[in-house]
Amino acid sequence: MSGLRIVTVHCLQNPSSYITGILFIAASCVLATWIPRLLGQVTDSLRYGHAGEGDIAGFARMIVAVGAGRVIAGWAGRFLTHMKGRELTYTLRRELFAKWSTLSPSYYHTKSSGELISHALSDVDIVGDLVTLGLNMSVTGIATLIGTFWQMVVHVDWKLSVASVGPLLFIPVLVRRLGPAIRSQSHRAQEALDAMSQVTGEAVWGVRAVKAFGQEAVFNSRFEQRAEAIFEEKMRFARLSALFSSLVPLMVNIGFVFILGYGGFLVATKAISLGDFVAFTLYAVLLRLPLEQLSNVINIVQRAVPSLDRLATLLSVEPEIRNRPGALTGQVFHGDLLVDRLTFRYPGSDHDVLHDLSFSVRPGQTLGIIGAVGSGKSTLADLLIRLYDPPSGSIRIGGRDILDYSLATLRKGVACVPQEGFLFSGTVLENIGFSDEEPDEARAERCAVIAVVHESILQLPEGYDTEVGERGARLSGGQKQRLAIARMLYKDAPFQLLDDPLSAVDLTTERRILDNLRTLKASSGGGASSGKITIIISHRLSAVQHADEILVLQEGRIVERGSHETLLDSEGYYAFQWSLQNNLFSGDDGKEGNDDDKAYFPKDFPDNERQEPDALPAVFQVVCPEDLP
Amino acid sequence: MKDTLSQKGWVSTLFPYTKPHWRGFSLAFILIVVVVLIDLAQPLLVREVIDRYISSSNPDIRAILRISSVYLVIVLLSFGVAWYQEILLQRIGLMIVRSIRIDLFRHIQSLSLRYFDRYNPGRILTNVVSDAEALNNFFTQFLAYMIRSLFTLGFIMIFMARLDLKMAMYCFLLVPVIVVTVIQFQRILQAANAEARRRLGLLIGFLSENLGGMSVVQMFHQETRQSRRFDARNKAYLAASLSENRRFMFFFNVTETLADLTVAALVWFGGQGVIHGTVSFGVLYAFIGYIRRFFQPISIILMQMNILQASIVAFRRIGRTFAEMPDIAEGCCRVPEPVSGAIRFEGVSLEYTPGYPVLHDIDLSVFPGDKIGFVGATGAGKSSVMNLLTRFYDVTTGVVSIDGVNIRDWPFEALRRTVGIVQQDVTLFAGTILDNVRFFRTDITAVRVREACLLVGADSFIQCLPKGYDTVLSERASTLSAGERQLLSLARVLIFDPRILILDEATSSLDSGAEEILQEAIHKVSAGRTLLVIAHRLSTVREMDRIVVLENGRIVESGTHAELLGRQGSYRRLYHAWSEQDKAA
Ligand SMILES: Nc1ncnc2c1ncn2[C@@H]1O[C@H](COP(=O)(O)OP(=O)(O)OP(=O)(O)O)[C@@H](O)[C@H]1O
Ligand SMILES: Nc1ncnc2c1ncn2[C@@H]1O[C@H](COP(=O)(O)OP(=O)(O)OP(=O)(O)O)[C@@H](O)[C@H]1O
Ligand SMILES: [Mg+2]
Ligand SMILES: [Mg+2]
Repeated sequence: MSGLRIVTVHCLQNPSSYITGILFIAASCVLATWIPRLLGQVTDSLRYGHAGEGDIAGFARMIVAVGAGRVIAGWAGRFLTHMKGRELTYTLRRELFAKWSTLSPSYYHTKSSGELISHALSDVDIVGDLVTLGLNMSVTGIATLIGTFWQMVVHVDWKLSVASVGPLLFIPVLVRRLGPAIRSQSHRAQEALDAMSQVTGEAVWGVRAVKAFGQEAVFNSRFEQRAEAIFEEKMRFARLSALFSSLVPLMVNIGFVFILGYGGFLVATKAISLGDFVAFTLYAVLLRLPLEQLSNVINIVQRAVPSLDRLATLLSVEPEIRNRPGALTGQVFHGDLLVDRLTFRYPGSDHDVLHDLSFSVRPGQTLGIIGAVGSGKSTLADLLIRLYDPPSGSIRIGGRDILDYSLATLRKGVACVPQEGFLFSGTVLENIGFSDEEPDEARAERCAVIAVVHESILQLPEGYDTEVGERGARLSGGQKQRLAIARMLYKDAPFQLLDDPLSAVDLTTERRILDNLRTLKASSGGGASSGKITIIISHRLSAVQHADEILVLQEGRIVERGSHETLLDSEGYYAFQWSLQNNLFSGDDGKEGNDDDKAYFPKDFPDNERQEPDALPAVFQVVCPEDLP
Repeated sequence: MKDTLSQKGWVSTLFPYTKPHWRGFSLAFILIVVVVLIDLAQPLLVREVIDRYISSSNPDIRAILRISSVYLVIVLLSFGVAWYQEILLQRIGLMIVRSIRIDLFRHIQSLSLRYFDRYNPGRILTNVVSDAEALNNFFTQFLAYMIRSLFTLGFIMIFMARLDLKMAMYCFLLVPVIVVTVIQFQRILQAANAEARRRLGLLIGFLSENLGGMSVVQMFHQETRQSRRFDARNKAYLAASLSENRRFMFFFNVTETLADLTVAALVWFGGQGVIHGTVSFGVLYAFIGYIRRFFQPISIILMQMNILQASIVAFRRIGRTFAEMPDIAEGCCRVPEPVSGAIRFEGVSLEYTPGYPVLHDIDLSVFPGDKIGFVGATGAGKSSVMNLLTRFYDVTTGVVSIDGVNIRDWPFEALRRTVGIVQQDVTLFAGTILDNVRFFRTDITAVRVREACLLVGADSFIQCLPKGYDTVLSERASTLSAGERQLLSLARVLIFDPRILILDEATSSLDSGAEEILQEAIHKVSAGRTLLVIAHRLSTVREMDRIVVLENGRIVESGTHAELLGRQGSYRRLYHAWSEQDKAA
């Protein structure tokens, strides 16, 4: 899609404002050309000595009136166009945000937020300039140009007129010639700016890591490279656009050379009068300003075209996750969760992350999921809330494919604690009541009590009104995580999905939270039809130990399933993890021998000490998925 | 008074950057003057042609053509000069912007965490990206137009004054009037512009945060609400930028009206003068001709005021960032080499928010090579203790020392080399796995990276990725699982081989199998090193030389596992909570 459509659509949506704006500006230019005429009349009437004081006063009044008219018309015109232009930037930013909020994580894996911000910041501004400055200057330029040219043609010889503006006809040729180069260079300059924003963004949000490693210098040099690239690209752009903007006055001046030579010749051969010649030279001067303006306009357009294209591309991205046609909207999102032979691979990846998973959970039940690092637990959770789309028919709720529900119904029906427990800057209360328009303080407090974070919150400087900082930076790890739990509880949806919700919480608190959650579940009527479905993913077995069923994932397959007791009895992965976590077999010995080992000094790291994977117990051997049968 | 102070502020921020470019500026200045002169030569040339060759009784066509070709040469020359001058100014402007950006970035990097706690990333980002960009216009547009217009204005004023000094003086009265108007308006304009930029910062800040947490927004189905909140900020910015624009236009129109009034006054008084014979007609005629040329440069200058205001505001914002001083000052002591790794906390307390102490009176000494476990309820202040040791924050009272040297006296470089930390929140960057593990330090070899990854047990999953170590991670490494990210951050700290190693819940996202491998690795790695481990799983800290129990920002107990169990304290309670869990099973 061509980016220019963005502007034309916008203009067509506000035809009256733009037309009036343009008319006003044009009127102002016309009025402005009236003033020299008035001055001419003044001198004429003075020269022939028949002007009285009254006439002079009349002229002065006329000038004031025309001046006021031109100022007011110009004001109105600029007011309208600037307002509309700024409204366009507003609309573009709004549309970008609306578009971005429909895009799923897979999009954000390909774009950094610094880059996207640079689109919203500078591309949009460049487009705004196009509409405000570009429009204003082009109308002024064209109106003045036409006015002046008309005066030339009407009052003086047309052949001379043509000769003097002849060189100007080269300007379109120049645009064709230089245009593409300028446009692509402008695009490259914007990309360089993107890259710099990205590094800046990373350095700012990753500041703790950068400081911890004392690697500021590394980031400084990465930044310098980007800043240098901007310099290079912009310099190239400047060379092209400077060429363009100085070629246009050159054409005007060459036109003047013609006037001088050819006009002089015409006067000398008595083809035109001396007075005409003088007038002509004056008009030629008048041509100059509007032409310079127009060449600026062309530069603005050239610069804006790539930005418009970039914005058009951004705005035309189709969200990967969207409602199916005829999606169920009014439906209650409730009933059994059935996962049926679910196999999944990430878009663009070459192997399956989940293989052939089947399980079901009834309302009122709790499902626990455990498994090694990278075994696909969070992937499963992402599929349940459709951050990625599962294959059709593989996940059903209440007997219907979850792809059939509208996203709104689905996401209203599921409350999550994401593994990354993202908090927004804002107060504690706003974060807990994130799912609500106006967070209800009493309810937030109740949820905080269940998540055992209430007391911690009260100890914060401003209690529930404490600002938590960007991503909750002013809270401790466990506080953040418990706020995320409270936030999920506040939403109170029929499906609860907790992805490793207790990893940063100490054991005593963990137990209190788990007890609270169980009590809550029991009291809210664990009945088969009305209860909630809870899915807990965890590395700590204590979190899943009371679940009705526990799945053990390995390499994306269910390798064990059953209740805590049956799994302990079957003496597989689960039982082994249990023993590790409760230290039933390693005892106090075992580690002592390690103290004699050489320290890990990367410089002289002994080869024979490499920890080969096959030296490990079979349970945590990692096999690449491709190697599996 | 305050205003002049801040004026001085931006000038003194800018001045050092322009200094190295004085030659360039002078050259550009000269070139601009040349272009102006060539432009002014045009009417003279015409007069020459008319007087000498055309209006004479037998016009000399050859001479006319000769003069035309001379003029053609001049025109081409002026084209070259104008082009070169524009590039020259662009170059200087871009160079200045580049060095300001780089210094700004370096400066921001040197600021301490309290600064980052206070300002959101969006604000910092607009500072580096778009404020710096606004400066560019100052050099490339404002300066060039300004010089050109001032010169034209000067020449015209000279011509006018030579015609009739008295009348010229009346016209020049306009100049102080305009200057006063500009000064009057500038405060209003700057305030409006500053407000607009501030709101833009808020808008971008909101955007940047939401882009980071978009999946959470979607999970909670808050897209419409967040869009509305974005919209509120967007509208606020729109309103500010419209009001800024309105003010500017008002100002501009006031000056334009002034110009028209002057012309009318000239007609009125001049016309009367001619009628009463006090002014000659010729003079008035010439004046009327000049007066329009007189206003052209003025109106161009006024139009550029916008850019000037925007650049001043940008300078101020940048200047304010430069004025932020890191509240963690770097020490300059020479530290004993090699570092042995003894740590001492003496009467340490910490307040993030004044009046709200988070750590109270911490006393602790750790011998070189000790392995210390830290346990305690969440929010007890464990991470805060480590924040002090890495000097992310400075103590409010008390002293923290390493090897007997107060860490305030340690140079940062040495401190960061000595203390390595795996933080609770993993931070990885866009880039390859290799670069992430070695923190973009190309002097660290891939072999070393692989060794570290093998050690922590990350190698196997990396090998499974299609491009292995060269896999390009997305921002925040969001295509890896949480545990995989944590393993990478562990490998990263080992690469840097610190004397004191801090693990702040570095195994919280790992399954017990992976943790076991890691424990093994840590044991191997930590021989001879001071090791501080924060963990919630008691199995992790049980075998440490000493366990420190924190409660509400105080150390309540410390000792070996066995000692602590012997006491009737918090640790025992914790341990029992943990082992009861066993029994419950
Ligand atoms: N967006 C993605 N694109 C490609 N691969 C991915 C993506 N997200 C995750 N993976 C890969 O899929 C596998 C499963 O990841 P997942 O996050 O589901 O693991 P997990 O079981 O939650 O692990 P953890 O316990 O560490 O949280 C990992 O190997 C990971 O690298
Ligand atoms: N940057 C900060 N600004 C203000 N307050 C902070 C900041 N960092 C931490 N705090 C507060 O200090 C207290 C102690 O936090 P700290 O992170 O040290 O706890 P912790 O013991 O590490 O807990 P956890 O086990 O949950 O990680 C908390 O109440 C927290 O809210
Ligand atoms: Mg996960
Ligand atoms: Mg912590």
